[in-house]
Parts: sequence; structure tokens; C-alpha cells
Amino acid sequence: MRVVIAEDNPLLRDGIALLLGEHDVEVVAAVPDAGALLAAVAADPPDAAVVDVRMPPTYTDEGLRAALTIRSAYPGVGVLVFSQWVETSYARQLLSENAGRVGYLLKDRIVSTDEFVGALRRVADGGTALDPEVVRQLLAAPAVDAGLARLSDREREILGLLAEGRSNVAIAEALHLVERSVEKHVTAIFTKLDLPQARTDHRRVLAVLRYLRA
Amino acid sequence: MIVVRAWLTARTWRELAYLVSGVFLGLPTFVLAVVGAVTTVASALTVGLPLLVGVLALARRTPRYFRGPARKLLGWDWADPPPLPAGTWWGRVRALPSDPTAWRALTYCLARWPLAVVGAYPGLFAVVAAPVGITYPLWWFLVPADDTDTWSHTWIIALQGLAVLLATPWWLRLIVLLDRFLVRALLHPSEAQRRIAELEAGRAALQSDAAALLRRVERDLHDGTQARLVALGLTLSRIEHRSTDEPVRTLAADARGTVTEALAELRDIVRGMHPPALDDGLDVALTTLAARSAVPAEVAVSLVARPPDATASALYFAVAELLTNVARHANATRVRIDLRTENRRLRLTVTDDGHGGAAVIDSGQARPAASGTGLAGLGRRAAALDGSLTVDSPPGGPTTVTMILPEIGG
Repeated sequence: MRVVIAEDNPLLRDGIALLLGEHDVEVVAAVPDAGALLAAVAADPPDAAVVDVRMPPTYTDEGLRAALTIRSAYPGVGVLVFSQWVETSYARQLLSENAGRVGYLLKDRIVSTDEFVGALRRVADGGTALDPEVVRQLLAAPAVDAGLARLSDREREILGLLAEGRSNVAIAEALHLVERSVEKHVTAIFTKLDLPQARTDHRRVLAVLRYLRA
Repeated sequence: MIVVRAWLTARTWRELAYLVSGVFLGLPTFVLAVVGAVTTVASALTVGLPLLVGVLALARRTPRYFRGPARKLLGWDWADPPPLPAGTWWGRVRALPSDPTAWRALTYCLARWPLAVVGAYPGLFAVVAAPVGITYPLWWFLVPADDTDTWSHTWIIALQGLAVLLATPWWLRLIVLLDRFLVRALLHPSEAQRRIAELEAGRAALQSDAAALLRRVERDLHDGTQARLVALGLTLSRIEHRSTDEPVRTLAADARGTVTEALAELRDIVRGMHPPALDDGLDVALTTLAARSAVPAEVAVSLVARPPDATASALYFAVAELLTNVARHANATRVRIDLRTENRRLRLTVTDDGHGGAAVIDSGQARPAASGTGLAGLGRRAAALDGSLTVDSPPGGPTTVTMILPEIGG
């Protein structure tokens, strides 16, 4: 897997590059700002880009805007965005078109390297990775959407884990359930949300989108 | 000698020029004052009221109008009158009839012109006629003989001319002194007004300093401390990954856990201090708040301009507090947050469909430790920014809390 890193803090930039190197990820470029990121992606599109939201010159949302640009201009490049705090509106913007090849994590998660690298691989492979904190905040607001309101507590919990980008196996592990019963719940969620019969991955993405737009 | 020398000083000529110019410049304002007086009487019959408001609006501008010549000729200076209270156009119109600044200025307009005439007329007369009178005995012979005028009588005229010439500078000085008193009493902002202006300026500076400080601390924590902690955690994670020694791996994992907790704590601290989402605008910040709300919340933000930091932060924390209140007490199923610019003010309304009965209880009295929290605390914070907070919460609901803040920071 080939990755570009955009992070203005040199300590973190080097740290992430070294860490990814140790996990057999090839870092093709590590740049300090959004302009350099877009240039690096244009020069040699990687499998994924790791992007800090807050970068020079204004230190507000340069990284997010660059990530959105990459998502529309290079649909094949996965984008994993890091921000210093939880911002559900960032997540909504990133996921507004589709929920594939995109991730949004708190910067803190870099410390849990296995989760971080796992999320990065998932995003590069076309999946989704949402921070548990973001999902928790979205879950905290009881759904206004009628379909979502029909979900049971357990189903909401599972939908939250789906939104984080976890597989059925991972969900079963997290909730101490057998995989078979997770599958049942997931099917129930699709039915209650009126999602069309189609390939399972696609429906998972749709469920997450539905969930985020509520 | 001093009496004669007065004419040789620039001061006398400046005062004369001031009064003579005052005759011309004071005439329109005198007319204004007369119109004002007439309309004041007429407004008792309500017909003159619109005109009176116009007159007062113009009168409010006269302190600046009079300041030009006074500054140039006599070196007097005074501060601009305090602006009318911010608010709607209609609100300012309604404030005018009871605005002391306008009435004082109008009074000055009324006194100014007669005073200038009284000063300028003898002044000019003295400049032109006194020299003629004094020299009259010398050229009396050139004038065709007049029975009533004798040569000895010309000496009386000469003395009169001399007297006028000597007295005029002092007369001018007296008139200007009177004008000075009037200016002080009627055009200078009053002592209380000056004090208020000073206090307001001081408070605005403090507020923006505090907001800027919090913002800087937030930046430092996020870009410095948080980044270093993450880097530290990263290194620990690499140690964990690389080491084959089980105790070392456990230690590194423990340390990494501590770093994660520290990061979570840091996030909570920063959130309570300066919400970084505010840097992206109130709509983003409020949407994030609403997403965190335990009761489903809708947000509508429509602002003309970006409010100052202190104002934005006050609105943000007000919404946070109100949402917590709703979740805790209202037993509501829906909250609406609406923030809009209305008549140059920011109007925040938070409405819930709960059971109502909320009241502003000044918790500062009952529980000193809790002062600054609750609705009373929000009211105080609004007041500190020259705003207001009203709560409408009949038993049975719905509850609407409205916070109004000036668009420009207090």
C-alpha cells in the first residue's frame, strides 16, 4: 500500500511515516500543507492519503478542503482525515457523496496504532472508518428519521459499529455475539431502513449514509 | 497700556473672527432651534412630532458642526457625542425625543446665534467706527459745516471712539467666555456619558483580550501539547511493536494507555475553554453541539457577518447550557435552535416542546458555588455584552429562551 501524509507538525509527520514503514506501508510523500498534498497526489496518486484537518496557513480546515478536493478529483484515492477534536459536520461533509474510501478519526487514535493502520487499510480498500467518538455523538441524538426510529437499541448499536467501518466478524467480537446473530441484526437493519436488495457492501455503505444524514 | 495692547494680540482677532463666523454659521442652526421650539409646542398636538424627530436628529450632529471653527480659531476640542443606543432604526427614532444629547445641542443652537451677533456687531463696529471717531477732531474741518456739530463736540466723539476701542476686546472676551460655558454645558458629552464611554471601551478591550487569550491557549494545547502527546504515544506504540520482551511490551502498553487518557482529558479541557469549532463559524460549532445533544435538536443559523469572538463564544456556551437544561429538566422530545441577524442584533432562540415552568432563579444567592450557571448566569453573561435574556416558559410548555446580543461586541 502506498500512502501520502499531510501533517504540519514535523514530530508527528515523521512519527507517522516511521510507524507506517514498520507496518509495511510505503510512504511516498510526507508534506506539511494542503497545497503540497494536492501536488503530491497529482504527481503520483497513492492508494490513500492521511490528512490533518488543521494546517497552515490559516490553521482552520485546509486539510478538510484538500481532502474533499481529492475525493472529487481522484475517486480512486482513499482519504483518512484526522482532526484534533470531534466535528460531526466534518464527517457529514466527507461522507456527503458516498461513504467509500473515506475515514474520519480523532488524532488521538494514532496512538492506538493497530486501529489506525487497520482503518487506513480499510479506507484504501474502499471501506469506511469513522471515529467511535463521532459515532457516539451521532448515536446520542435519537434519530428523527422514521426508519431509524424503528431500530431497536441493539440494532442502533450495530449500526454504529457498521458506521465505524467494522465487519460482521469484528462486530460480533466487540459485542460478544455469534456472527450468525450479527448477520440477522444487520439484515433487520436493512429491512427497517428500506434499503434495496443489492450487494451487501453497498447496502452497508447506504445504511451508514442514511444514518449520518438523519 | 494693557488695554491698548489687547488689540495687538492674535487672541482678540481670533475671537472676533470666531464670533463673526458664528453669525453666519450659527444662523441655520438658530433657524433649526426655532423650528425645534415651534414643533415642540406643535408636537403636543402630535402633528409636529415627526418634524421634531428630524430636528433632533440634525441637532445631534451640531456638536461636530460647531467643533470645526472652534478648534481652528480657539483651539477648543471636545469628544463626539455618544451614539444613540444600537438597535433598530425605529428604536433610534423613538429614543430621539428623550435623548439628552440632542436636546442640549438644540438649546445651544438657540443661544449660539444671538450670542454671536451680540459679540460680533460691536466688534466689527469698533474696528470700523472707532478709528474714525478718534480721528474726528483732525478732519472735522474737511466736513461741510454742520450747525449742530462744533469742533469741541468732536472731542467728545473722539473720546467715545477711544472708549469703544478700548472696551471691545474685553467685550469679545466676555462673550467668548459665555460661549465657552455654554459649549461646556451643552456640547461636551456629560461627565457620566464620558465615564460610560471609557468603561465600555475598557470592557470591550478586556473581553476581546480574554477571547484572544483563550484562543491562543487552545491553539497551543492542540498544536503543541496534543501533538507531542500523540507523538509520544506513537513512539510507545512502536516500542510495543518492536520489542520481543514481554514485560517491556506490557509497560509500553500501560504508558500508551496513560497517554490516551491524557489526550481525552485534554480534549475535554479545551472543549470547555474555547470550542475550536468556533474558528469555522458559529453554524459549524452549533451544528456540532446539536449533534451532541441528548434531545434531538435542529439548528438554523442565518448571520449577516461573523460576530466578534467574545460574542460567538457567549452564544456557543449559551446554547450548550440551554441544551443541557433541556435534557435535564424539560422532558422534551425536540429542540429548535435558531440564530439570526435581526435589525443589527443577533437573536438566538432555543425552543423545546417540554413541560415548561422554567424560571430564572438567581442561583448566586441560594448556592454561591453555582453562580454563573443556569439561566441567571446566562442572563448575566448576556448583560455583560449589552444583551438580554428572556425566558418564556408557561407551565405545560413550550419553553422559549431568547438571547439578544448587539452585532458588534459590547
